[in-house]
Amino acid sequence: MNEQLYLLVLGWVGLYAPVALGAIGASIGCTIAGQAAIGAMMELNGGYGRYVGLAALPSSMSIYGIVVMFVLNRPVTPENAGGLFGIGIGAGLAFLLSSIYQGICCASAITGSKAKPEIFGLSLAPAAIVEGFAVFALVFALVAAAGLQ
Amino acid sequence: MLKTKYVTLMASLPPLGKLFAAKQTPISRIKLENRLKMLTEEDAARLKQIENLIHWSHLPMERTDAQIVDAAKQFFQEVSNQTLRAVIESRLDLHTVIAALRRRQRGDQEPPQGEVWGYGRWVSYIERHWREPGFRLEGVFRWVLEANRLLAAKESVALERLLFGTVWEQLNLLSEGHYFDFEAVVIYVLRWDLVDRWTRYNSEAAVKRFNKLVDSGMEEFRNVFA
Repeated sequence: MNEQLYLLVLGWVGLYAPVALGAIGASIGCTIAGQAAIGAMMELNGGYGRYVGLAALPSSMSIYGIVVMFVLNRPVTPENAGGLFGIGIGAGLAFLLSSIYQGICCASAITGSKAKPEIFGLSLAPAAIVEGFAVFALVFALVAAAGLQ
Repeated sequence: MLKTKYVTLMASLPPLGKLFAAKQTPISRIKLENRLKMLTEEDAARLKQIENLIHWSHLPMERTDAQIVDAAKQFFQEVSNQTLRAVIESRLDLHTVIAALRRRQRGDQEPPQGEVWGYGRWVSYIERHWREPGFRLEGVFRWVLEANRLLAAKESVALERLLFGTVWEQLNLLSEGHYFDFEAVVIYVLRWDLVDRWTRYNSEAAVKRFNKLVDSGMEEFRNVFA
């Protein structure tokens, strides 16, 4: 009985983990990039919009978390709890770390393009590459979830 | 993970560009000090300590070499951060080698006896190789022979340029991997100091040149009425 309860708890943790970890990561990432945007705005006299927009880029990770949670959302049973936990925690951790590092990439892009505005587009490349890895985690979480009961 | 303590501060500071191409600092001292108010009290005190260790020009003239060495020892006891230690070590090494070159240039045939005249691992090595042109440190400090030559030729501007360039390169190397942390702030401020001092040297040169032009103009003026 205790073992079953333990499994069910793990299943529920896995179900909610992508949203929770994705949201935590997005908050941290947006904070880091947002701080850089504020710093850049202290120095510049215009063009603030694109820096604020760039600072919001890591927020996409929480959306990925929501998508994974919707796909995983089903009655939690001892049979599927392990799968829910593995996929949920794995995807959640991927979103958490991706969003933090994406925030750092965005902060660097903001400071770099503030100094040299012509590199604004190119400076987004590292953040876009990090986004690509998070999309891998999302897609394969969806593929893996299709095999769950 | 990368440290991101001072993202706003670092993003608010303008790029310094190239040292010798600068005509003026990209941010004034007052504005820079205003931005540095974002530092925590502890970090602000540490930055002040580092600046006092490195820049001696604004400190009292009566400050002795021994006092500077004591201050350096205290810093190394208090600070475990490898980058900050490397920043101070590299600068004190440079000061020590230049002090030895200057002493030799003024005629000291032997290394100073019974007094503290330098800091770091090279002091006793320099004393042992006092009569060698570069103290046998050419492999460690590639600039030492050139500095010796410029000192002998009394080319002080070229010597300053060589030393500024060397320090600038050292700081560039040490800044690798530091973008938004306290180390990045320290390195920025030290590089800003270099730009500030170099551009002020230029303005001093400009004032001298201006005075010379005025004098020659006055000479012509006097000739008119001669």
